[in-house]
Amino acid sequence: MKDKIKLALAQISSKREDKEANLQKIEKLTYKAKEQEADLAIFPELCLSGYVVRDQFYELAETIPGPTVEKVEALAKETGMHIIFGMPELSEKTQATVFNTAVFIGPRGLIGKYRKMYLPTHSIFEEKRYFRPGYQTATFQTDLGNIGLCICYDLFFPEVLRLVRLKGAQLIVCISASPAVRRSYFETLACARALENTAYLAYVNLAGVQDGLQFWGGSRLVSPNGDVLAKAKYDEEDFVECEVDYSELRTAETFIPTLRDLRPELFDKLKEYSERL
Amino acid sequence: MELREAEVKLTPSVLDIDFSETQKRICRFIKEYVENAGAEGIVLGLSGGVDSGTIAALSSLAVAGKNVLGLMLPEEENFNQKDIDDAKVVIEKFKLESSICDMSAVMECFYKAIPLFDPNDRLCKGNIKARTRMIYLYYYANKLNKIVCGSSDKSETMMGYFTKWGDAAADITPIMDLYKTQVRNLAIHLGIPEELAFKPSTPALWPAQMAETELGIKYETLDLILYGLERFMTPEEIANQLSINKSIVAEVKARWLANEHKRKMPIAPKIGFRTVGNDFRLPRHIY
Repeated sequence: MKDKIKLALAQISSKREDKEANLQKIEKLTYKAKEQEADLAIFPELCLSGYVVRDQFYELAETIPGPTVEKVEALAKETGMHIIFGMPELSEKTQATVFNTAVFIGPRGLIGKYRKMYLPTHSIFEEKRYFRPGYQTATFQTDLGNIGLCICYDLFFPEVLRLVRLKGAQLIVCISASPAVRRSYFETLACARALENTAYLAYVNLAGVQDGLQFWGGSRLVSPNGDVLAKAKYDEEDFVECEVDYSELRTAETFIPTLRDLRPELFDKLKEYSERL
Repeated sequence: MELREAEVKLTPSVLDIDFSETQKRICRFIKEYVENAGAEGIVLGLSGGVDSGTIAALSSLAVAGKNVLGLMLPEEENFNQKDIDDAKVVIEKFKLESSICDMSAVMECFYKAIPLFDPNDRLCKGNIKARTRMIYLYYYANKLNKIVCGSSDKSETMMGYFTKWGDAAADITPIMDLYKTQVRNLAIHLGIPEELAFKPSTPALWPAQMAETELGIKYETLDLILYGLERFMTPEEIANQLSINKSIVAEVKARWLANEHKRKMPIAPKIGFRTVGNDFRLPRHIY
C-alpha cells in the first residue's frame, strides 16, 4: 500500500438525463487526472444522471455491474486509475427499486459500491420518493489504502462515518449534490467528521444549476485534524489535485485520540433513546 | 422542562441577506437558463417600478444589456410619463435595448369585442391589461427567440397579489424568492436610484392604484408576517412579536393559503396513472 496517494477532485456539472455526455466528461477528466499522476478521480453524487431528474430516475437507473459500470471499468483498466462516481442503481432483483449509489472502480474492475443510507426528503429534497435506502456502510481495502464511502446527507449523521472509520477507513470519500443554501452546513460538517474520526475526508460536490437549484461546488480535502488542505471553486466546475499522506494519521490519532477514547456503552444508549424520540 | 426552542425574532434584520451573493446567484441562474434554452436573450416588461427595474438590472448583468429587451407598455387610461421616465433611467444605466408599445388600441378592441364587458368593473378590466402585457412580451419572445423574464416578488406572490396568467406569466422569475423589502435593498445594491427603489408599488391596472393601500398593510410589516409564516410560526407568535392585532396576521395568512391556486398549474381530477400537476414529476427542461 502507498504511503501517499494523489486525488483528483472532479467537480463537474451534470447534463440531466444525458448519461453519454456525463460519461464522456468522466472519461475526459479521468485522463486528465492520469496525466497529472493522480491515483483516484472522484466525481459527484448522481453525476451520471443529473440530480433533479425526478420520475426519469426509473429510466436512467442501471444495475451494478451494468453498461455504464462496464465502460468505467474499461476506463479504469486503460488508465490504471481508481474512480469513484455517483449513479442511480437499479436492483438486480426487482424492476423498479432504485438506490442512490456511489461506485468504486479500480484498474482491476469493480471494487465495491455504497448505497446512500440517509435520503433527504424535506425542503426541496425528494429522495425517499425514488430511492430505497442502503443498509450497509462501505469501507474497502484497496491498493490506495482503506477507503470508506458516504454520500451527501450522510455527513449529518456522525454514526455513518464513525462506523466507516471503525471498519478501518483512513480516507473517507463523500460525494455530494448539495445546493447553495446549505453550503455553510457542509463546510462545517466536512471538517467536523474528519476531525472527530481523525481520518482524511474528500468531499466532492456538484456544480451548476438544475431546475433552479444551484449546486455550490466547493469540493475539498480535509486533513485528519480538520484542516482544509485543498479546495475547489464555489459554484463552477473545477478540477483540483491534492495529496493524502497516510503518515499523518498516526500523529493525528495521538494528538486527537478520539478513537482511543470511544465509549461503546454510549452507543447502546443512543439506540435506546433514538427509538424513544 | 420547557423543550420548545426560542421563537424566531421578527425584527427587520431577519430580512437582511448577502446582496452580493444574491446578485451572483441570480445572475448565474439567468445566464445558465438563457444559454441552456438556446435563447438570444431576454424580454421583460418595464413599468418604471422597482421590481421590473431590478430584474432588468440583473438580466443586463447576467447576459449583457444588448441582449435584454425592455418593453414599456403604456395605455391611455393609465398613462404616466413619470413611469416612462423611470423606466428610461434603468434602460440607460444598464444599457438595455428598449421599445415603447402603446396598448391603447388593443385595449379598446377588447372592451368593444367582449359582449359581457363592464367598464365599471375595474378589476376584470384591469386584468385584461395585465394579460395583454403578457401577450406582447410573449410575442416579442417568440419572434426574437428570447425568454420572458417575470418580475414577481415573494410578497405579492404569497399574497396572490397578481393577475393569474398575466404579470406572473413568464419563463423565469429571478426575484420570486425575495420579499419586496429585500428587492428594494437589492435594487440599491445594484445601483438603481433610491427614488426608484423606494417608489410606491402599483400593478397599474387602473389609475392611482397603490399596492400598499390595496393590501391594507405596509410592506415592512407584511414581509415580516410572511417571513414568520414561511418559518412555521403561528399567527399568535407573529402578532405578539410585531405588537400588532392578531386579526391582521390572520387575514394575511388567509390570503397566503387561499391563493395557492394562482401559484400552481390548473388542477385536474386524478384519473390516470400519472397526473399533470400532481404526481407526474418530470424534470423541467428548457427549450
